[in-house]
Amino acid sequence: MSNAENLFQNKQLDQQARQQRLSQVLRRPDIWQAANEQQRTRHGIASGYPGLDALLTGHGWPRGATTELLVDQSGIGELSLLLPALADMTQREQMVVLINPPFIPYAPALAAAGVRLEKLLILHPRGQRDQLWAMEQTLQSGCCGALLSWQAGPPPADKDLRRLQVAARDGNAVHFHFRPSSSAASPSPAALRLQLASDGEQLVLQLHKQLGGSAGQRLHLARNSDLTRRDRPLH
Amino acid sequence: MLWLCIQFPRLPLQALTRAQAGPDDGRPRAVAEQQLIVDANPAAGRRGIDCALTIATACALCADLELLTRDTERESQLLQELAQWGYSFTPVVSPMAAGPVENGESRAACLYLELSGCLRASGGLQPLLQQLQRELEQMQITAEMGLGHSPSAAHMLSQLSEHRQWLQEAKSPPTGQQWRQWISFTPSKLLDCDHKTIAKLYACGIKRVSQLLAIPLSEVGSRFGRGFVDYLARLNGSRHDPVASYQPPPQFHSELFFPSPLDNSEQLLFPAGRLVRELCQQLQRRQLYAQQLRWKLDFGQKGCKVVSVEVSRPLLDPQRLIALTKLQLERIKLEQEVQALHLTCDQLQPLEASALDDDLFGESTNLQRSHQLLDKLKARLGHEAMSGVTLRESHLPEQAWQSADTLILHSGRRQNGHQVKPVNAPRPSWLLQRPDPIKARNNKLYYRGEINLLQGPERIDGYWWQHHRHARDYYIARGEEGSLYWVYQDLTSEEWYLQGIYA
Repeated sequence: MSNAENLFQNKQLDQQARQQRLSQVLRRPDIWQAANEQQRTRHGIASGYPGLDALLTGHGWPRGATTELLVDQSGIGELSLLLPALADMTQREQMVVLINPPFIPYAPALAAAGVRLEKLLILHPRGQRDQLWAMEQTLQSGCCGALLSWQAGPPPADKDLRRLQVAARDGNAVHFHFRPSSSAASPSPAALRLQLASDGEQLVLQLHKQLGGSAGQRLHLARNSDLTRRDRPLH
Repeated sequence: MLWLCIQFPRLPLQALTRAQAGPDDGRPRAVAEQQLIVDANPAAGRRGIDCALTIATACALCADLELLTRDTERESQLLQELAQWGYSFTPVVSPMAAGPVENGESRAACLYLELSGCLRASGGLQPLLQQLQRELEQMQITAEMGLGHSPSAAHMLSQLSEHRQWLQEAKSPPTGQQWRQWISFTPSKLLDCDHKTIAKLYACGIKRVSQLLAIPLSEVGSRFGRGFVDYLARLNGSRHDPVASYQPPPQFHSELFFPSPLDNSEQLLFPAGRLVRELCQQLQRRQLYAQQLRWKLDFGQKGCKVVSVEVSRPLLDPQRLIALTKLQLERIKLEQEVQALHLTCDQLQPLEASALDDDLFGESTNLQRSHQLLDKLKARLGHEAMSGVTLRESHLPEQAWQSADTLILHSGRRQNGHQVKPVNAPRPSWLLQRPDPIKARNNKLYYRGEINLLQGPERIDGYWWQHHRHARDYYIARGEEGSLYWVYQDLTSEEWYLQGIYA
């Protein structure tokens, strides 16, 4: 009698444990469930560009994940693509950290875009080990809204990218990783991979990979009209 | 008045060996001064080594004895630290240094604490004494305690083993009657006077203090001198017994000495942790906090190395301070063996209740987490690798920003008063470190291909009143591949430069 009871209890416990494990797996952001599609819609961080938001599964930049931006050339509007989201974060008292930016972030332009400069931190770590350490610590800390990092030196190993992705998930931070477009061919654990280029006038985005969504779309974003307005010749 | 005397009979040895990780590795050790042993550890004691032996005799008794030279300076420093520790219990503290060696024996260093004012705060006599004992054990310092109504009485009773036993179970301070009994019961060799006087007392047949007190004072005076009568009166409580009052220094300093030098920075972590814990206890009791911990690694005669750990916010959690220290210590490579580790905190700031990091439930807010992150980054990457940016009031584009210390992140809220507004014109998000020259040929500009001017000019002309005039016409230009550049023509030299990129 007691044996049978035990067996029954064991079975129940087993079932509970299994259910728990299953729900743990289902909670992962990279598992897509058709049934939950409604809940997931407003998950991302609004990028400030409605056209881009419509393309992304979370209707914005993926939260707690790495977004890779494959850029070869600066000046095509790669930073202004992120500025609305960054400005929003700094206004919500979250830190934005820049690691190894290629040039000096120009304070008047950032302030004009609405970024609160006192929440901006710029790091120039020496050596790749220090750089990876700083990136991981920043992402994990939980106080950092976004981390922008520029790849300097050799491409990071696959396991390092994976660690950064995990750190971003732990700290619920957005990691924007700028890489040369030559690394598009190599696989990456990033949740979103975007190639940025210019067609001469506009910024062209190409989706290479998107977790839980479709990829391959192209999007043309116009530059700020204040910049591209052509003055009439004086004579 | 209720005076507690804490004697440190093992101070000469413990000042030298306190830094070791284990409690005791069983190796016989002894401290010598002027060819005489002044202190020995229990392992050496079992081999028959005792105070007042000559070094030659001691080495004959125990061949593998490790002899250390007595360092009175380090001892007095340790005593100061102990006084600082005592100050955290009561404001009336008086340290007394060890006496000179006489016939191989010396008066041990001791500390007087006046307890009557702090009994209630500590929850009574027994909890207070237990706490004192526990903390001394943590610091690995052997101590003997005695209670008295005057410092002299406390000092004498601390040598009386019956009194010490009573003190283990004492729940309340003794009455005056009890004290008189203790004092009269004491053998007269425990009186704090020179050997000659004690020999004289025994020659007179006075073996206990009670016998001495039975003699009229005037007769005692004529036999043993005025000084001795004075001492008896202080012992009795019929005369004031002044001791030097101790004032804590405005900074914290502590050090650990390694008898066998360390050559690995990982080995430093244990002694560093102990120093940090001592610091945190001190700070918490005195309601102060340290902004900077300065670690000094002493290489003996080969110089020293100073490492400083900066703390942005009041932090009293030893674990976090140790973690920050660890980050710093990992960065350095030890080229020489470390002989001693010093911890100094120069600027101790008063702590305000609102400034403390952790609230009751140990939850940290976003701002506190960012301070912790900044401290960590600063500890590993160094000050120079971190910066912020702020606006500056200037017409010149390269002077309209400045690199800011990360301290502005700490202020947390916007500064009041005047606020610099950015110019209301499209400015590039990247600025070049220094303007890059652009080639101009046949009225065309080339920078990685031909570039076309879209907008401009915006004339910025400044500092004409100074030696170096800046007169520039700024344009927005587009490169061949679609990049937008911020370029200018220097009006004095008519040359073109690239200064910013609209990223």
